[in-house]
Amino acid sequence: MGLSEDKPWLISSIDQVVNWSRANSLWPLAFGTSCCAIEMMMATNSSKFDLARFGAEVVRPSPRQADLLIIAGTIVKKMAPRLKTLYEQMPEPRYVIATGACTISGGPFVYNSYSTIRGADEIIPVDVYVPGCPPRPEALLYGILTLQRMIKEGESMAWTGKRKKPVLAALPPAITGDDIYSEMQVLLDEQSEFNVRERAKESTWHTKEYDEK
Amino acid sequence: MLNDNTDPIELKTLQDQFNLGQKGLSGNDTQEFFVNMGPQHPSTHGVLRLVLKMDGENVKKVIPVLGYIHRGIEKMSEYIGARQIVPLTDRMDYLSAMSNNWGISRAVELAMGVETNSRIETIRTLMAELQRMQSHMLWWGVLGLDLGAVTTFFYGFRDREFLTELMEKTTGSRLTMNYIQPGGLMFDIHEDFVKDVKAFLKYFKPKLEEYEILLSGNVILQNRLRGVGVLSSDDALSFSCTGPTLRASGVPLDLRKTEKYGVYDQVEFDVPVGEVGDCWDRYWVRLEEIKQSMHIIEQLIDDIPEGKFTTLKPAKKLKIPAGTTYSQVETPRGSLGTFIQGDGTAIPYRLHFRTPNFNNLWAITKLGPGGKLADLVATLSTLDLVIPDIDR
Repeated sequence: MGLSEDKPWLISSIDQVVNWSRANSLWPLAFGTSCCAIEMMMATNSSKFDLARFGAEVVRPSPRQADLLIIAGTIVKKMAPRLKTLYEQMPEPRYVIATGACTISGGPFVYNSYSTIRGADEIIPVDVYVPGCPPRPEALLYGILTLQRMIKEGESMAWTGKRKKPVLAALPPAITGDDIYSEMQVLLDEQSEFNVRERAKESTWHTKEYDEK
Repeated sequence: MLNDNTDPIELKTLQDQFNLGQKGLSGNDTQEFFVNMGPQHPSTHGVLRLVLKMDGENVKKVIPVLGYIHRGIEKMSEYIGARQIVPLTDRMDYLSAMSNNWGISRAVELAMGVETNSRIETIRTLMAELQRMQSHMLWWGVLGLDLGAVTTFFYGFRDREFLTELMEKTTGSRLTMNYIQPGGLMFDIHEDFVKDVKAFLKYFKPKLEEYEILLSGNVILQNRLRGVGVLSSDDALSFSCTGPTLRASGVPLDLRKTEKYGVYDQVEFDVPVGEVGDCWDRYWVRLEEIKQSMHIIEQLIDDIPEGKFTTLKPAKKLKIPAGTTYSQVETPRGSLGTFIQGDGTAIPYRLHFRTPNFNNLWAITKLGPGGKLADLVATLSTLDLVIPDIDR
């Protein structure tokens, strides 16, 4: 879809402001069913991969306060109606990231399992898929960056409710963790007023062991 | 009340079990009511659903409702070979993937009569102990989070990340490792493994003291845990609890001592045992187990024997002979039993996992009633449940 050129100037300016604020204040719902939840906790709240840099660290236990549903783990038939309820309880605009092989296609449980839902998109619409079993924290961060890009480019008050097609936030085979870090660094440099890496070195809790690691 | 989606038969059964009358408590103004804790609740550590009968803030009755992450691993195992079952066990108790792999591998080895060498057993022991520490670190961080102390979460995950990276170097995966295989290991250890483990031990020893300073002596934590959720040794045995939950109640059962697997008979370590069986004992036992695991690793890391890392050819078909085999190993949460029945083909006729969390969970039906709702959260947290391990 993308930002259309023939939109009025006022609408496109408002779109930019609204999308910028929406993309940078995603509040995820604390929803994890299995293994992916541990890597999600590692990505969102831990001290190494800190999601707070992208404005998405406020993990809410209640769906009423959240606008990002990260489906972390297998969805089985008994859980499926509950997942749908959770999604419906979230206020608009709401976004869904499906992490891990189980929520994309059924993953390791795609054959011979009588209870697994083959992909969360059979129940609720999904915006971004993050593959992996479970995906590394970097991959989940990349998925959230993809979602932010999608929000910034794809939404407009001229056509409310319409979304871009779901995307697979798969890392191309040649991309390494360092590349993601450098991409994050570029993003941070664009959006912050000081050099984050330099500032981090000055802080008191930055220990020598961490540097060696 | 219960969810709208609740099955009417289930609702009727629950109402019968609760004997929930139309009136309130006799002679009292309060009305008893249901609360659904879960399936989506941050302090049930997954999708466990507890139906609570409450009177004000007092818990009257607890009924766990299971099956929200039941994936049918046991039935799936009847269609696939032993090598393909190993990665499924990673996804059962994902915080102790190594021990789970060891459980199924050991069952297949016992059934087939496969011998392993001392290098394999030493590396298996090292990996299992590293994972025990990793699992307890996560538990420690999440316990603080459940009780309202967010800082412990960062500390636990900071040190856990060190171990995750260390194991990723060897196994190629951060969480679901699929490393211990029937007949040996998936790969040999990374050349940096010994150096990294030593660096970790040097790094972690002062950090463990930090844990004690930060949380153990905290007066709020002491008040929240001491005397709360007392599980007597008789009850623990009758619920068939295992692992730290049982040992905190005063029963010194540790399969590492009794079962004689790995190289646990060549190393010295103590089995920490609690006295009262309350939440504090379970806390203390787990912190002590981290120290004992460090002690075991220190004894083994210097001289890992030479040898092959697997005794079976990678492409060899594992034909499980007719008959039944039962093996059990000590995971960070208790004893994992693997029952395997073969019929001479490569596919097991029946496979059953006796998982530690399933039995540990039912202690909550005894510990919950009579306390406050907040104490139930503390009790649940110290039981250290992993829900996909309960449901399989």
